[in-house]
Amino acid sequence: MATMVEEQNLVDMGEDKESQFDQVTYNWVDITQEFFDAITELELGELLRDELFGLFEAMSAIEMMDPKMDVGMLCNRGNNKPCTFTQAVDSCVLKLDNLTQSEVIGIIDSTYACIVSWLEGHSLAQTVFTNLYLHQPNQIVDKPLRTFCYAVYKIIEIIKDCINKALVFEEEDFQSVTYGYRLQQDITEQKIISMLKEVEDELPRKSRIKPIHVVSEKEYGDRLALYARIRFTKIFYQILSLMGKKEQLQQNLNECHTLLSRCSYMIQIVIKTVNSGEKADEISNYPNIMGFDPMVNQRLLPPTFPRYTKIKPRIEALKYLDELLNRFRTVTMITNQNGFHAALDFFLEFSRQSPCILSRSMLQIVYLPTTNRVFGVQNFADVLKDAARNFIAPPVLMPKSTLLQNHQAKEYVDSFLSHCVGLFGSLLQLTGHNRARQRDKLAHLLDDFAILQDEAERVDGFLHALSLKSDTPRSHLACFGTWILYHTLRVMVMYLLSGFELELYSVHEYHYIFWYLYEFLYGWLVSAITRANTFLMEQDVHNDTHKGRGSKKSARNKKKKSTSRPYNLEILMYQAMQNICGGYYKALVGFRMDGKILLPESPFDSERVRYEHRLLPFSSLLTPPPVHYQEFLDMTNAQMHKRNEKVTSEMLYLAGCRHFHQARNMLERALSLYLPNSSTVNEINDLLKVAKTNFVVLKLLADGHKKDSKEPPVFDFSCHQHFPLIKLI
Amino acid sequence: MKEGHNASNITNDDYIHENGEAANTEESPAKQKLRGWLNRNLRIKMTDGRVLIGAFLCTDRDANVILGSCSEFLSEDHTEARTLGLVMIPGRHIVTIHLDA
Repeated sequence: MATMVEEQNLVDMGEDKESQFDQVTYNWVDITQEFFDAITELELGELLRDELFGLFEAMSAIEMMDPKMDVGMLCNRGNNKPCTFTQAVDSCVLKLDNLTQSEVIGIIDSTYACIVSWLEGHSLAQTVFTNLYLHQPNQIVDKPLRTFCYAVYKIIEIIKDCINKALVFEEEDFQSVTYGYRLQQDITEQKIISMLKEVEDELPRKSRIKPIHVVSEKEYGDRLALYARIRFTKIFYQILSLMGKKEQLQQNLNECHTLLSRCSYMIQIVIKTVNSGEKADEISNYPNIMGFDPMVNQRLLPPTFPRYTKIKPRIEALKYLDELLNRFRTVTMITNQNGFHAALDFFLEFSRQSPCILSRSMLQIVYLPTTNRVFGVQNFADVLKDAARNFIAPPVLMPKSTLLQNHQAKEYVDSFLSHCVGLFGSLLQLTGHNRARQRDKLAHLLDDFAILQDEAERVDGFLHALSLKSDTPRSHLACFGTWILYHTLRVMVMYLLSGFELELYSVHEYHYIFWYLYEFLYGWLVSAITRANTFLMEQDVHNDTHKGRGSKKSARNKKKKSTSRPYNLEILMYQAMQNICGGYYKALVGFRMDGKILLPESPFDSERVRYEHRLLPFSSLLTPPPVHYQEFLDMTNAQMHKRNEKVTSEMLYLAGCRHFHQARNMLERALSLYLPNSSTVNEINDLLKVAKTNFVVLKLLADGHKKDSKEPPVFDFSCHQHFPLIKLI
Repeated sequence: MKEGHNASNITNDDYIHENGEAANTEESPAKQKLRGWLNRNLRIKMTDGRVLIGAFLCTDRDANVILGSCSEFLSEDHTEARTLGLVMIPGRHIVTIHLDA
C-alpha cells in the first residue's frame, strides 16, 4: 500500500511558520510488516545501527510515550483540544465583558500565582501565558481586567530586565525566554501607571452610583478586594521600576520605602480577600478558572523540557509576594552599610537566607547598577581603596603620603585596584547565585585570588623599597597582601563550609574538613587580622608622632578608638569557630577510635583521593600553602599518641569538650559586645546552642557513656547549617 | 581511576567495531534490508495517533526505533510540525511504519 501525502490544508492554522517544510513531498511506502518481520532476525540485545551512531548518542534520545519525557503525549489526551484566544471567544468560553468582580479577582490572583511560579524557575509559556487574556489584552472590554493585563506585561518585562541585568541566574533559577509574546513595549511606564490609577479611582466611585443599601455586603467586599488588587499592582510595578533604575538611586530607594509599606498593606488586604475570587477554595495544580488553559502553549515547548508545571495555589503565591516585599525592604538596607566590608557581609548574610532570584538580582543592581559605580555614584575602586585603608592602613593610601607622587607607584597601585574591582565585583556577584552554584564559583574564584595575591605582594615590595627611601620611611610589606589574604581565607572557609550546607560530605570525611578549618584556616584568619590590627596601631602611633604636641587631645581620642577596634570582636568570633571545629575534629577522631564511624569498604576507597578532591581548589594558592594528606595523617597520629603514651578516645572526647567549652565562653563574651538587634546575634545564639549541646554530649562520652555501643553518632544540622549538633542514639 | 575508565571505553568501542565488521560479511537478507533503510526517512504512527517523521538510525529485536532530526505531528492530517530531535519509539507503541521511497 502506497500513500501519497500532499499537504494542502494550510488554511486554518493561521500564520504557519513551518509552511515551507510542509510543502516537501514524500512518497510513503508502507513497510510495517516487512519491518516487523526483519527485526525478528536480530539477536537479543543486538542493535542494528548506523556505523556513526553509537550508544552514547542513543542516550540522549527522548523516549516517546514515556510520560516523564514526552510532552506531546499530553496534547492528545482527552477531547478538549487547547484553543486559541479567538477560538475561545468565539465559542463563548471566554467572556470579554460583564465579568463579575469575583471572576476578575480570580483571574488576577491566578495570574499572580503564575508570575510567582515563573519566578520559581518555570517557563513563561507554561505559567503566565497560559492565561488566554494575556494573548490579546486589547480585545478585553472589561476595563480593570484589560488594564491589569497590560500591567502584567510591563511587570514581566521589568522583572526580566532586572534579572538579566544582574546576571546571577542559571537555568535552574529562571527562564527568560518569552516565546514570541510581545511585551507591549510601546506602552510607557507613565501610561500604565496612569491607567491603573484611573481604574483605581473609578472603582470606589462606581459604588457611589448605587445607594449603599442596595449594594450587598458581598459585592462591597469584592469591590474592595478588586480595588486592593489594582492598587497593589500599581505600587508593585512602581517599586520594581524604581529599584531597577540606575539614576538617582538613593532618592529612588527612599521613595521605595514609602511604596513598600503601602504595598505591604495592600497585599495584606489581598491575602485576606483571596476567597472573594472565583473558585478560590478548589485545590488544583493549575488555575482552574475561565481564561486559563495549561495546554495552550504545550507545543511551543522544546522537546526536552520539565513536563509538568505545577502552578502555586493562589494563597501561597500571594504570601510569596508578601515575603518578596519584605526581602525588597531588606535589599534597600544595603545603602546603610558603610564601606565595602560591611556591604560584603550584608551580601553574604542575605544569601544565607536563600532569597528568591528576583530579590537576589535586585540587591546586585542596587549596589552596583553599573560595573564600577557603587550605588551609581561612588567609584568602586575608591570604595575598595577605602576598604583597604580601613583594614590595614597601607602607608601609600594615607592622606599625606608622598609615595603616589612617584608615577610608577601610582600606576602599580591603580592597576592593582582595578584588578581588585574585577575580583571583588565577581565575589559580590557570586553571592547572588543560588547556594549550590556558589560553591562551584568559589572554587574558580580562588584561582583569581592567587593571581591577585601575587600582584599584591609585588606592589607591596615595590612600595616598601620606595618608602624606605622617602623622608618618613615605613614598612609597606604585606599590606595589600594581608588584605587580599584575609579575603582569600574567607573564601576558603566559605568553600569548605558550603559542603556541609549542601550535604556533600560523608560523615567519615568530616574529620579532615574540620581539621583543616581548625588547624589552618581560622588560625590564619586570626593571624591576618592581628597583623592588620598591629599595622593600624603603628599607623596611629605614626600619625601621633607626626602631629606633634598640638594635637594631644586627638591623640587621646585615637587611643580610645584603637582599643575598641572592631577586630577584637572579629578575632573573638573566628577563635570561637576555630574551637568549635577543633571540638568536632577531636570528637571525630575519638569516634573513629571507638569504631563508631561507618567507613567505606577499603578496596573501593582511598581517603587520600577524597582528601585531595575536597581540597583541590586550594592547590592553586601559594599563600596559604596547601596542606598535604601526609601532614594530616602525621598530625592526626600525633593526636592519638602523645609522648609515647596511648591516647584513649575518652581523652580525645575530653579535649573536644574543652574546645566547645572555650568556644562557649568566647561566644558569650562576643554576645555582650554586640548590639542587641544585630543579625549576628542570632548567629551567635545558634552557635552557642551548638557549643553547649556538644559540650554536654562530649562530656558524657568522656565519662564512658555508651562506650561499647557501635551505633554511629548522628550529626544534626537543624540548628546551624554548618555546625551540627552531635547526637547519640 | 581516569585511565581505567578510558581503557574500558576503548575496549567497548573495539568490541562494537568488530561486531559490526563481522556482521557485514555474512549478513542475512533481512538484516541487509534493514541496513538499507538506515538514514532514510521513516514515518511512524504511534498508538496515540501521533505521527513522527525522522531519519532511521537504529533498531533492535523489539522494534524499538531511534529516529534522528524528528518532527512530530499531532495526527495524520495535522500539518503543524514540532521539532523533537532525537527520539526513541518503543516497539510496542508503533502502529505503522512508512518509508520515503
